Amino acid sequence: MNFFKSIFIVALFFSNASFAQKMVRYDLFVRDTIVNFAGKEKHAYSVNGQIPMPELHFTEGDTAEIYVHNELSTETSIHWHGLILPNEQDGVPYLTTAPIKAHSTHLYSFPIVQNGTYWYHSHTGLQEQIGMYGAFIIHKREEQKIPEYTMILSDWTNMKPFEVHRRLHSANDWSAIKKAGIQKGAVQSYADAILDGSFGIKLKNEWKRMLAMDVSDVYYDKFLTNGKEEDMAPQFKAGDKVRLRVINGSSSTYFWLKYAGGKIAVVASDGIDVEPVEVDRLIIAVAEIYDVIVTIPSDSTAFEFLATSEDRIRSTSLWLGSGIKQLASPLKPLKYFKGMEMMNDMIKMDGNLDDMGMNMSLQQMDMNVVMYPEITGENKNKNDGPSDMDNRYNSNALSDIVTLNYSMLKSPVKTVLPEAKTQVYNFELTGNMSRYVWSINNKTVSETDKILIKKGENVRIIIYNNSMMRHPMHLHGHFFRVVNGQGDYSPLKNVLDIMPMETDTIEFAATESGDWFFHCHILYHMMSGMGRIFSYENSLPNPQLPDPQKALRKLYKDDREFHFMFQNDFASNGNDGEMMFMNTRWNLQAEWRLGYHDMHGYEVETHFGRYIGKMQWLFPYVGVDYRYRKLGMDEVEKNVFGQTNTKDKRQALCIGIQYTLPMLIIADARFDSDGKFRLQMMREDIPLSKRLRMSLMYNSDLEYMAGLKYIVTNKFSLSTHYDSDMGFGGGFTFNY
Amino acid sequence: MNSFFKILITVPALLLNIACSGSMKNTKSLNVKIYGNCEMCEKTIEGAANVKNEVSLDWNKDSKMAMLSFDSAKTNVDVVLKRVAHAGYDNEKFLAPDDAYSKLPSCCQYVRSAKNISQVAVVNTQKETVETQLDSSKKIVEVNQLILVANSYFELKNDLIQANSSSAAAKSATLSQVLSSVKMDNLSSAQHVVWMKVYKKLIAASESISKSKDIEAQRTQFIVLSENMHELVKVAQLEFTVYYQHCPMYNDGKGADWLSLEKGIKNPYYGSQMLTCGSTTETIK
Repeated sequence: MNFFKSIFIVALFFSNASFAQKMVRYDLFVRDTIVNFAGKEKHAYSVNGQIPMPELHFTEGDTAEIYVHNELSTETSIHWHGLILPNEQDGVPYLTTAPIKAHSTHLYSFPIVQNGTYWYHSHTGLQEQIGMYGAFIIHKREEQKIPEYTMILSDWTNMKPFEVHRRLHSANDWSAIKKAGIQKGAVQSYADAILDGSFGIKLKNEWKRMLAMDVSDVYYDKFLTNGKEEDMAPQFKAGDKVRLRVINGSSSTYFWLKYAGGKIAVVASDGIDVEPVEVDRLIIAVAEIYDVIVTIPSDSTAFEFLATSEDRIRSTSLWLGSGIKQLASPLKPLKYFKGMEMMNDMIKMDGNLDDMGMNMSLQQMDMNVVMYPEITGENKNKNDGPSDMDNRYNSNALSDIVTLNYSMLKSPVKTVLPEAKTQVYNFELTGNMSRYVWSINNKTVSETDKILIKKGENVRIIIYNNSMMRHPMHLHGHFFRVVNGQGDYSPLKNVLDIMPMETDTIEFAATESGDWFFHCHILYHMMSGMGRIFSYENSLPNPQLPDPQKALRKLYKDDREFHFMFQNDFASNGNDGEMMFMNTRWNLQAEWRLGYHDMHGYEVETHFGRYIGKMQWLFPYVGVDYRYRKLGMDEVEKNVFGQTNTKDKRQALCIGIQYTLPMLIIADARFDSDGKFRLQMMREDIPLSKRLRMSLMYNSDLEYMAGLKYIVTNKFSLSTHYDSDMGFGGGFTFNY
Repeated sequence: MNSFFKILITVPALLLNIACSGSMKNTKSLNVKIYGNCEMCEKTIEGAANVKNEVSLDWNKDSKMAMLSFDSAKTNVDVVLKRVAHAGYDNEKFLAPDDAYSKLPSCCQYVRSAKNISQVAVVNTQKETVETQLDSSKKIVEVNQLILVANSYFELKNDLIQANSSSAAAKSATLSQVLSSVKMDNLSSAQHVVWMKVYKKLIAASESISKSKDIEAQRTQFIVLSENMHELVKVAQLEFTVYYQHCPMYNDGKGADWLSLEKGIKNPYYGSQMLTCGSTTETIK
């Protein structure tokens, strides 16, 4: 009897314990699928048959047990974004967690020690772009029940992510041409500039070696809310105050958020509560999360909650309430040339940025306001501008539209770090658009060692963005304080958007162990190596990674990847083409000109070289040339230096150097093993109009070339050129 | 070589031909309701809706109905009506964004009867235009008339901040309409005393603003309007907080005042030139 009694008590104890510490299990089945989001059937990844991945719900204090069943024939991973958890549960393959191999199951298990809105996504390759993102909601233990809805935003392209990534690295402007189909002027061609009366600005831009300005890199065919172009939430009634959990699960798109039913009250950021602040609109960075409260003003109306991509090409909506649809006003197209004019002021000849003494930080000064018609007016002509120079980029001072910025976020509780030694790191965000290289202090992840930190110390990072794009920097496994003038009440976040020229300071207490990734959350920037690894000294070995050195090499592979591009002009007078195989620093190039008969000749030049410097304007190389050409009787080739050449067949080694001059002209000087010197000036892809490109070349062998190309699709162009060797020709160009 | 060029020329010509010959296929037609006023509205509505070889819409200003024909393979009713609403016109599916509506020329500011108007609360949030409230005359009796006056004033003030003189003129015309429709019998005795004192000046100033197209002239009149509104608001029992704000620079340094629903300064006398110049001198609850 006694025995039974004790069993009973023990059982009671256990049931009690399980009540306090509930185990919540989810099973996620990752599968290949075919979807049609934008008119074409495309490959994507679904989890439990859906995109986005299922919304997971927990309560603070639960223990999560999540089984991921990988039914793909490639490996995958899941990262729990914003969660405080043991290092080996963080889900960065080869860094913290074992990759989930094809056709295998992996168990993630960790206690839930926080509350708020978070998300989860694949951290393997480019899988996140095509379906592997979902909401992760943790409820407070005693939560005030108010109506709520989750809005997970994403971007969709019909192009394979691999292709997107590869094309970004070959400075292909097809994405701008697609955008220009929706918004005139997106290519920022000479014709666009002349029509706008801004040709001078465009030339000055090119003088400073800037390509067309991009607000976002990738052309997306659709933006989605919970996997739909428009999502409906008709259940809400007049007077309801609805908590919207807005998660930006996109791969590289920032969104502007607006509401047709009045103000938006921001109540939490990246999962953590902030003092409520009312705004008219806010921008949500890639991977950022905002909880907002909106009011439903009346019945029998559905109010639009509008998310517009930062480049304003497309939008996605959530309709709150039921009935006739009340629209929010759409964002007018960007004034690109105003933006280029602003960039002309900000960029120095050496490619560095100059903030002209405005200490920019925390999204308070948005240089892009010069492009926003709703803030700076639709007037295209040169206006005298606002008289208040200090505020000329301060959106909230320039208009009565209140835009959220980080200085307005305030924690409701003190967030002061414990007294401890503080290590300070200075990170300069670096990169260049033309070769799509992204780095910190001009080094990629694989080019640096891990940054060693000590448990118990505080870490302060001062970040300066010296690149021309904004970057959402994300820290794994920790929350950092954003030092934003709110003193002891500085808000806690795990993603910080940092605009060009801004300097922001973040700090966190080193309380964990293991390796934690700090990286730009724009997927293609991360894959290009824009990040660092913080590593706790004296961490215990990670059981999931038996060979850490080998694992690390796997991780480094991401940003060491070589990208291939190929182009050939099939013309009536011969074939002209080039091929490149390149990564962050190295490039193996081949150029050829193949005539159809011996008199025209055959010529192949191969180079292998390394890009030097932050802007990568300098490219020394070694190479091999081969040429066969039958010259006429007594014909002698002569160059400007008086050197002659009579050989029909020539093989030579060469060394040379390329340098990008103002106006984006590539100067190429080289010596070959025959003792010949050649200097060449070349400019390709001069954007005459939306689809028309011109190229010009002249060299000291007195060879010259001028060509025109009309871009028809992303792979084909009609082309024509005149070449001093081969004469006039026309045909088409294929590029990959 | 020659034949090559011929091909080069013929191919685009052929393509062009195909593009031009394609008239509207898969045509669907139906009648839709679109609100609006005048011929100018008709132009804007049809301009927003029509796309060559895709959509053709013909709107009738008297019936407020439109005949809509479109290529169902290329577009749908929602897409077309959304464009119309973005241009400022409520219709059977979509309500126009408020700022798109308010940017319409004054002759086009039709009565927004489709827009759901119910509660006094909207006055607080300034969401609804005065016209729609006048339209639902039954509710007005229960509403404090002076709230409507104040609301009308705030709309005018917002236009002055934007330096939108034509819209300000329209809003001011509405204001004088609202002023003359106030029933004195329903005012309390304290309100009545003030009303008798300020009424004529308010009417005069608002009419003068409504007749002017010069933003500076309008702003000068707005000084008088604001002074008298201030007297009125103090006794109006508005149920919401109003801020009396002062700009020391305007009027050749003599200064000028205005009333606002927001504590933050948005100067109606200078607009974007000096938007945040000024301070709150009185808070009226």
